[in-house]
Amino acid sequence: MSHEAEAGLPPGILAHHFSSLSRQNEAMRLGMWLFLATEILLFAGLFTGYAVYRFQFPEAFAECSRHLELTLGTVNTLVLITSSLTVALAIHYARNNRRHAAAVCLVITILFAFAFLGIKAVEYTAHFHERSLPGKYYAFEEVKIPGAAMFFSLYFLMTGLHGLHVIAGMVVLGFILRHTLQNRYSSRYYTGLELGGMYWHLVDMVWIFLYPLLYLI
Amino acid sequence: MSESAPPAGRPTQALHPDDENGEHAHSAVPYIVVYFALLFFTVLTYLTGKQHLGTWALPIALVIACTKSALVALIFMHLKDSSGSTRLVFGTSLVFVALLLFFTVADVATRFHPATPAGAPFGTERSQPEGLLEHELPE
Repeated sequence: MSHEAEAGLPPGILAHHFSSLSRQNEAMRLGMWLFLATEILLFAGLFTGYAVYRFQFPEAFAECSRHLELTLGTVNTLVLITSSLTVALAIHYARNNRRHAAAVCLVITILFAFAFLGIKAVEYTAHFHERSLPGKYYAFEEVKIPGAAMFFSLYFLMTGLHGLHVIAGMVVLGFILRHTLQNRYSSRYYTGLELGGMYWHLVDMVWIFLYPLLYLI
Repeated sequence: MSESAPPAGRPTQALHPDDENGEHAHSAVPYIVVYFALLFFTVLTYLTGKQHLGTWALPIALVIACTKSALVALIFMHLKDSSGSTRLVFGTSLVFVALLLFFTVADVATRFHPATPAGAPFGTERSQPEGLLEHELPE
Protein backbone atom coordinates (compact mmCIF):
# COMPACT_ATOMS: atom_id res chain seq x y z
CA MET A 1 0.00 0.00 0.00
CA SER A 2 3.02 2.23 -0.15
CA HIS A 3 2.01 3.96 -3.35
CA GLU A 4 -1.23 5.05 -1.65
CA ALA A 5 0.75 6.71 1.05
CA GLU A 6 2.89 8.36 -1.61
CA ALA A 7 -0.25 9.78 -3.21
CA GLY A 8 -1.44 11.04 0.19
CA LEU A 9 -4.51 8.81 0.20
CA PRO A 10 -6.06 6.83 3.05
CA PRO A 11 -5.56 3.05 2.70
CA GLY A 12 -8.02 0.95 0.73
CA ILE A 13 -8.73 3.39 -2.09
CA LEU A 14 -6.04 2.99 -4.75
CA ALA A 15 -5.80 -0.62 -5.96
CA HIS A 16 -2.27 -1.92 -6.47
CA HIS A 17 -2.77 -2.65 -10.17
CA PHE A 18 -3.38 1.00 -11.02
CA SER A 19 -0.36 3.20 -11.51
CA SER A 20 -2.21 6.34 -10.47
CA LEU A 21 -5.50 7.48 -9.01
CA SER A 22 -6.55 9.31 -12.18
CA ARG A 23 -6.23 6.06 -14.16
CA GLN A 24 -8.23 4.17 -11.56
CA ASN A 25 -10.92 6.89 -11.60
CA GLU A 26 -11.12 6.70 -15.37
CA ALA A 27 -11.46 2.89 -15.29
CA MET A 28 -14.15 3.15 -12.58
CA ARG A 29 -16.14 5.70 -14.58
CA LEU A 30 -15.87 3.64 -17.76
CA GLY A 31 -17.03 0.52 -15.91
CA MET A 32 -19.98 2.39 -14.40
CA TRP A 33 -21.05 3.75 -17.78
CA LEU A 34 -20.84 0.23 -19.25
CA PHE A 35 -23.11 -1.00 -16.46
CA LEU A 36 -25.52 1.93 -16.99
CA ALA A 37 -25.58 1.11 -20.73
CA THR A 38 -26.83 -2.39 -19.89
CA GLU A 39 -29.47 -0.84 -17.62
CA ILE A 40 -30.58 1.50 -20.41
CA LEU A 41 -30.92 -1.49 -22.76
CA LEU A 42 -32.85 -3.44 -20.11
CA PHE A 43 -35.43 -0.66 -19.86
CA ALA A 44 -35.35 -0.16 -23.66
CA GLY A 45 -36.84 -3.65 -24.04
CA LEU A 46 -39.85 -2.63 -21.97
CA PHE A 47 -40.16 0.71 -23.73
CA THR A 48 -40.17 -1.16 -27.06
CA GLY A 49 -42.96 -3.45 -25.84
CA TYR A 50 -44.82 -0.34 -24.74
CA ALA A 51 -44.34 1.24 -28.20
CA VAL A 52 -45.71 -1.86 -29.93
CA TYR A 53 -48.87 -2.09 -27.84
CA ARG A 54 -49.49 1.63 -27.69
CA PHE A 55 -49.35 1.60 -31.48
CA GLN A 56 -51.85 -1.29 -31.61
CA PHE A 57 -54.24 0.07 -28.96
CA PRO A 58 -53.98 3.88 -28.99
CA GLU A 59 -57.46 4.47 -27.57
CA ALA A 60 -57.20 1.89 -24.79
CA PHE A 61 -53.83 3.31 -23.72
CA ALA A 62 -55.16 6.87 -23.67
CA GLU A 63 -58.27 5.82 -21.76
CA CYS A 64 -56.34 3.79 -19.14
CA SER A 65 -53.77 6.58 -18.76
CA ARG A 66 -56.55 8.99 -17.78
CA HIS A 67 -57.52 6.65 -14.93
CA LEU A 68 -54.09 6.90 -13.33
CA GLU A 69 -53.54 9.39 -10.50
CA LEU A 70 -51.87 12.20 -12.46
CA THR A 71 -51.31 14.29 -9.32
CA LEU A 72 -49.43 11.48 -7.57
CA GLY A 73 -47.37 10.81 -10.71
CA THR A 74 -46.45 14.49 -10.98
CA VAL A 75 -45.52 14.71 -7.30
CA ASN A 76 -43.32 11.63 -7.72
CA THR A 77 -41.59 13.27 -10.69
CA LEU A 78 -40.82 16.30 -8.55
CA VAL A 79 -39.63 14.04 -5.70
CA LEU A 80 -37.17 12.21 -7.97
CA ILE A 81 -35.87 15.37 -9.64
CA THR A 82 -35.26 16.97 -6.24
CA SER A 83 -33.53 13.81 -5.00
CA SER A 84 -31.27 13.92 -8.07
CA LEU A 85 -30.29 17.46 -7.08
CA THR A 86 -29.51 16.41 -3.50
CA VAL A 87 -27.27 13.57 -4.76
CA ALA A 88 -25.45 15.98 -7.09
CA LEU A 89 -25.01 18.38 -4.14
CA ALA A 90 -23.70 15.54 -1.94
CA ILE A 91 -20.90 14.93 -4.47
CA HIS A 92 -20.31 18.67 -4.70
CA TYR A 93 -19.94 19.00 -0.90
CA ALA A 94 -17.66 15.94 -0.72
CA ARG A 95 -15.44 17.50 -3.39
CA ASN A 96 -15.24 20.64 -1.27
CA ASN A 97 -14.35 18.58 1.84
CA ARG A 98 -17.68 19.30 3.54
CA ARG A 99 -18.34 15.79 4.76
CA HIS A 100 -21.30 16.60 7.04
CA ALA A 101 -23.15 18.59 4.37
CA ALA A 102 -22.61 15.68 1.96
CA ALA A 103 -23.99 13.20 4.52
CA VAL A 104 -27.06 15.40 5.13
CA CYS A 105 -27.72 15.55 1.38
CA LEU A 106 -27.51 11.76 1.12
CA VAL A 107 -29.90 11.31 4.07
CA ILE A 108 -32.38 13.70 2.39
CA THR A 109 -32.05 11.70 -0.85
CA ILE A 110 -32.87 8.45 0.98
CA LEU A 111 -35.89 10.12 2.59
CA PHE A 112 -37.06 11.24 -0.89
CA ALA A 113 -36.66 7.65 -2.06
CA PHE A 114 -38.92 6.47 0.77
CA ALA A 115 -41.44 9.19 -0.17
CA PHE A 116 -41.39 8.01 -3.79
CA LEU A 117 -42.02 4.39 -2.78
CA GLY A 118 -44.75 5.47 -0.36
CA ILE A 119 -46.61 7.39 -3.07
CA LYS A 120 -46.17 4.46 -5.46
CA ALA A 121 -47.59 2.13 -2.77
CA VAL A 122 -50.69 4.37 -2.48
CA GLU A 123 -51.16 4.11 -6.25
CA TYR A 124 -50.64 0.33 -6.29
CA THR A 125 -53.16 -0.10 -3.45
CA ALA A 126 -55.75 1.80 -5.49
CA HIS A 127 -55.04 -0.42 -8.51
CA PHE A 128 -55.57 -3.54 -6.41
CA HIS A 129 -58.86 -2.17 -5.06
CA GLU A 130 -60.27 -1.22 -8.46
CA ARG A 131 -58.66 -4.36 -9.99
CA SER A 132 -56.80 -2.51 -12.70
CA LEU A 133 -54.26 -5.33 -12.69
CA PRO A 134 -52.12 -7.02 -15.37
CA GLY A 135 -53.26 -9.73 -17.75
CA LYS A 136 -55.95 -12.15 -16.63
CA TYR A 137 -56.36 -10.40 -13.27
CA TYR A 138 -57.67 -7.31 -15.03
CA ALA A 139 -61.26 -6.59 -13.96
CA PHE A 140 -61.42 -2.78 -14.04
CA GLU A 141 -65.05 -1.71 -14.46
CA GLU A 142 -64.39 1.72 -15.96
CA VAL A 143 -62.32 0.65 -19.00
CA LYS A 144 -63.51 -2.45 -20.81
CA ILE A 145 -61.89 -2.24 -24.24
CA PRO A 146 -59.26 -4.51 -25.82
CA GLY A 147 -55.72 -3.47 -24.90
CA ALA A 148 -56.59 -2.09 -21.44
CA ALA A 149 -55.21 -5.17 -19.67
CA MET A 150 -52.03 -4.84 -21.75
CA PHE A 151 -51.63 -1.22 -20.64
CA PHE A 152 -51.73 -2.28 -17.01
CA SER A 153 -49.39 -5.24 -17.65
CA LEU A 154 -46.84 -2.78 -19.06
CA TYR A 155 -47.61 -0.23 -16.34
CA PHE A 156 -46.85 -2.74 -13.59
CA LEU A 157 -43.78 -4.16 -15.38
CA MET A 158 -42.27 -0.73 -16.05
CA THR A 159 -43.06 0.92 -12.71
CA GLY A 160 -42.26 -2.36 -10.90
CA LEU A 161 -38.82 -2.70 -12.48
CA HIS A 162 -38.25 1.00 -11.85
CA GLY A 163 -39.35 0.52 -8.21
CA LEU A 164 -36.82 -2.32 -7.81
CA HIS A 165 -34.18 0.07 -9.09
CA VAL A 166 -35.29 2.67 -6.54
CA ILE A 167 -34.81 0.07 -3.78
CA ALA A 168 -31.40 -0.93 -5.19
CA GLY A 169 -30.51 2.75 -5.41
CA MET A 170 -31.42 3.20 -1.73
CA VAL A 171 -29.01 0.38 -0.81
CA VAL A 172 -26.29 2.04 -2.89
CA LEU A 173 -27.04 5.41 -1.24
CA GLY A 174 -26.82 3.69 2.16
CA PHE A 175 -23.33 2.37 1.35
CA ILE A 176 -22.04 5.69 0.10
CA LEU A 177 -23.55 7.43 3.14
CA ARG A 178 -21.61 5.02 5.37
CA HIS A 179 -18.41 5.69 3.42
CA THR A 180 -19.04 9.43 3.64
CA LEU A 181 -19.41 9.21 7.42
CA GLN A 182 -16.21 7.13 7.54
CA ASN A 183 -14.42 10.06 5.93
CA ARG A 184 -13.55 8.09 2.81
CA TYR A 185 -14.41 10.86 0.35
CA SER A 186 -12.65 14.19 0.00
CA SER A 187 -11.44 16.54 -2.68
CA ARG A 188 -8.68 14.00 -3.39
CA TYR A 189 -11.00 11.05 -3.92
CA TYR A 190 -14.77 11.02 -4.42
CA THR A 191 -15.23 8.65 -7.38
CA GLY A 192 -17.07 5.98 -5.37
CA LEU A 193 -19.60 8.57 -4.23
CA GLU A 194 -19.89 9.92 -7.79
CA LEU A 195 -20.62 6.46 -9.25
CA GLY A 196 -23.24 5.68 -6.60
CA GLY A 197 -24.85 9.01 -7.41
CA MET A 198 -24.86 8.14 -11.13
CA TYR A 199 -26.96 5.08 -10.40
CA TRP A 200 -29.51 7.30 -8.68
CA HIS A 201 -29.52 9.71 -11.63
CA LEU A 202 -30.25 6.78 -13.95
CA VAL A 203 -33.29 5.90 -11.81
CA ASP A 204 -34.40 9.52 -12.23
CA MET A 205 -33.81 9.42 -16.00
CA VAL A 206 -35.97 6.31 -16.43
CA TRP A 207 -38.80 7.99 -14.51
CA ILE A 208 -38.48 11.11 -16.69
CA PHE A 209 -39.61 8.88 -19.60
CA LEU A 210 -42.13 6.81 -17.65
CA TYR A 211 -44.02 9.86 -16.39
CA PRO A 212 -45.29 11.26 -19.73
CA LEU A 213 -45.62 7.83 -21.36
CA LEU A 214 -47.81 6.38 -18.61
CA TYR A 215 -49.59 9.34 -17.00
CA LEU A 216 -49.99 11.82 -19.85
CA ILE A 217 -51.23 10.05 -22.97
CA MET B 1 -10.26 -1.97 -23.29
CA SER B 2 -7.37 -0.04 -24.69
CA GLU B 3 -8.40 3.01 -22.66
CA SER B 4 -7.72 1.34 -19.32
CA ALA B 5 -4.24 0.13 -20.33
CA PRO B 6 -2.50 2.85 -22.32
CA PRO B 7 1.04 2.28 -23.59
CA ALA B 8 3.62 2.71 -20.88
CA GLY B 9 5.34 5.49 -22.77
CA ARG B 10 2.29 7.75 -22.74
CA PRO B 11 2.47 10.44 -20.08
CA THR B 12 -0.03 10.01 -17.26
CA GLN B 13 -2.16 13.05 -17.66
CA ALA B 14 -5.17 13.98 -15.61
CA LEU B 15 -8.37 13.53 -17.58
CA HIS B 16 -10.23 15.27 -14.78
CA PRO B 17 -8.21 18.24 -13.67
CA ASP B 18 -10.27 18.60 -10.49
CA ASP B 19 -9.06 15.18 -9.31
CA GLU B 20 -5.50 16.33 -9.21
CA ASN B 21 -5.76 19.79 -7.71
CA GLY B 22 -8.30 19.15 -5.03
CA GLU B 23 -8.01 22.53 -3.35
CA HIS B 24 -9.73 24.17 -6.33
CA ALA B 25 -13.29 24.98 -5.19
CA HIS B 26 -16.06 23.29 -7.16
CA SER B 27 -19.21 25.26 -7.94
CA ALA B 28 -22.77 24.04 -7.31
CA VAL B 29 -24.35 26.70 -9.53
CA PRO B 30 -24.75 24.41 -12.61
CA TYR B 31 -26.67 21.88 -10.49
CA ILE B 32 -29.11 24.52 -9.24
CA VAL B 33 -29.62 25.86 -12.77
CA VAL B 34 -30.26 22.34 -14.10
CA TYR B 35 -32.66 21.66 -11.24
CA PHE B 36 -34.81 24.67 -12.11
CA ALA B 37 -34.64 23.73 -15.81
CA LEU B 38 -35.89 20.24 -14.89
CA LEU B 39 -38.73 21.76 -12.84
CA PHE B 40 -39.63 24.01 -15.77
CA PHE B 41 -39.68 21.08 -18.21
CA THR B 42 -41.76 18.99 -15.79
CA VAL B 43 -44.39 21.76 -15.67
CA LEU B 44 -44.19 21.98 -19.47
CA THR B 45 -44.74 18.20 -19.79
CA TYR B 46 -47.69 18.41 -17.41
CA LEU B 47 -49.34 21.34 -19.20
CA THR B 48 -48.81 20.02 -22.75
CA GLY B 49 -49.77 16.49 -21.69
CA LYS B 50 -53.06 17.64 -20.21
CA GLN B 51 -54.03 19.33 -23.48
CA HIS B 52 -54.10 15.94 -25.29
CA LEU B 53 -52.69 17.47 -28.45
CA GLY B 54 -53.40 14.43 -30.63
CA THR B 55 -50.68 13.54 -33.14
CA TRP B 56 -48.23 16.01 -31.61
CA ALA B 57 -48.65 14.87 -28.01
CA LEU B 58 -46.14 11.99 -28.17
CA PRO B 59 -43.37 13.83 -30.09
CA ILE B 60 -43.65 16.82 -27.73
CA ALA B 61 -43.54 14.58 -24.63
CA LEU B 62 -40.52 12.66 -25.99
CA VAL B 63 -38.59 15.78 -26.97
CA ILE B 64 -39.11 17.24 -23.48
CA ALA B 65 -38.14 13.93 -21.81
CA CYS B 66 -35.01 13.64 -23.98
CA THR B 67 -34.04 17.23 -23.11
CA LYS B 68 -34.47 16.52 -19.39
CA SER B 69 -32.44 13.31 -19.64
CA ALA B 70 -29.70 15.09 -21.56
CA LEU B 71 -29.46 17.70 -18.78
CA VAL B 72 -29.27 14.97 -16.12
CA ALA B 73 -26.62 13.00 -18.06
CA LEU B 74 -24.47 15.99 -19.05
CA ILE B 75 -24.51 17.98 -15.78
CA PHE B 76 -25.64 15.73 -12.91
CA MET B 77 -23.77 12.69 -14.24
CA HIS B 78 -20.79 14.79 -15.43
CA LEU B 79 -20.89 13.41 -18.97
CA LYS B 80 -19.98 16.93 -20.11
CA ASP B 81 -16.59 16.63 -18.39
CA SER B 82 -16.09 12.94 -19.16
CA SER B 83 -13.50 11.37 -21.39
CA GLY B 84 -14.22 10.14 -24.91
CA SER B 85 -14.45 6.48 -23.90
CA THR B 86 -17.35 7.01 -21.47
CA ARG B 87 -19.17 9.17 -24.00
CA LEU B 88 -18.67 6.44 -26.58
CA VAL B 89 -20.26 3.86 -24.25
CA PHE B 90 -23.28 6.07 -23.57
CA GLY B 91 -23.66 7.02 -27.24
CA THR B 92 -23.42 3.37 -28.33
CA SER B 93 -26.19 2.35 -25.94
CA LEU B 94 -28.40 5.11 -27.37
CA VAL B 95 -27.70 3.91 -30.93
CA PHE B 96 -28.83 0.39 -30.00
CA VAL B 97 -31.96 1.69 -28.27
CA ALA B 98 -32.78 3.63 -31.46
CA LEU B 99 -32.20 0.52 -33.63
CA LEU B 100 -34.41 -1.61 -31.38
CA LEU B 101 -37.24 0.92 -31.33
CA PHE B 102 -37.03 1.85 -35.01
CA PHE B 103 -37.15 -1.65 -36.49
CA THR B 104 -39.78 -2.90 -34.03
CA VAL B 105 -42.11 0.04 -34.63
CA ALA B 106 -41.47 -0.15 -38.39
CA ASP B 107 -42.55 -3.81 -38.25
CA VAL B 108 -45.72 -3.07 -36.31
CA ALA B 109 -46.58 -0.05 -38.46
CA THR B 110 -46.44 -2.03 -41.72
CA ARG B 111 -48.44 -5.08 -40.66
CA PHE B 112 -51.56 -6.22 -42.45
CA HIS B 113 -54.75 -6.78 -40.55
CA PRO B 114 -54.55 -10.52 -39.66
CA ALA B 115 -51.12 -9.95 -38.06
CA THR B 116 -52.42 -7.40 -35.54
CA PRO B 117 -53.63 -8.55 -32.08
CA ALA B 118 -57.29 -9.43 -31.63
CA GLY B 119 -59.40 -6.36 -30.94
CA ALA B 120 -56.81 -3.86 -32.09
CA PRO B 121 -58.38 -1.09 -34.19
CA PHE B 122 -57.12 -1.18 -37.76
CA GLY B 123 -57.15 1.11 -40.77
CA THR B 124 -60.18 3.39 -40.72
CA GLU B 125 -61.17 2.24 -37.20
CA ARG B 126 -58.21 4.10 -35.78
CA SER B 127 -59.00 7.52 -34.36
CA GLN B 128 -55.56 8.81 -35.35
CA PRO B 129 -54.81 7.14 -38.68
CA GLU B 130 -51.09 6.58 -39.16
CA GLY B 131 -49.98 6.95 -42.78
CA LEU B 132 -48.37 3.53 -43.01
CA LEU B 133 -51.51 1.71 -41.94
CA GLU B 134 -53.54 2.97 -44.86
CA HIS B 135 -52.53 0.27 -47.33
CA GLU B 136 -54.69 -2.65 -46.34
CA LEU B 137 -53.99 -5.80 -48.29
CA PRO B 138 -56.78 -6.91 -50.64
CA GLU B 139 -58.91 -9.64 -49.13
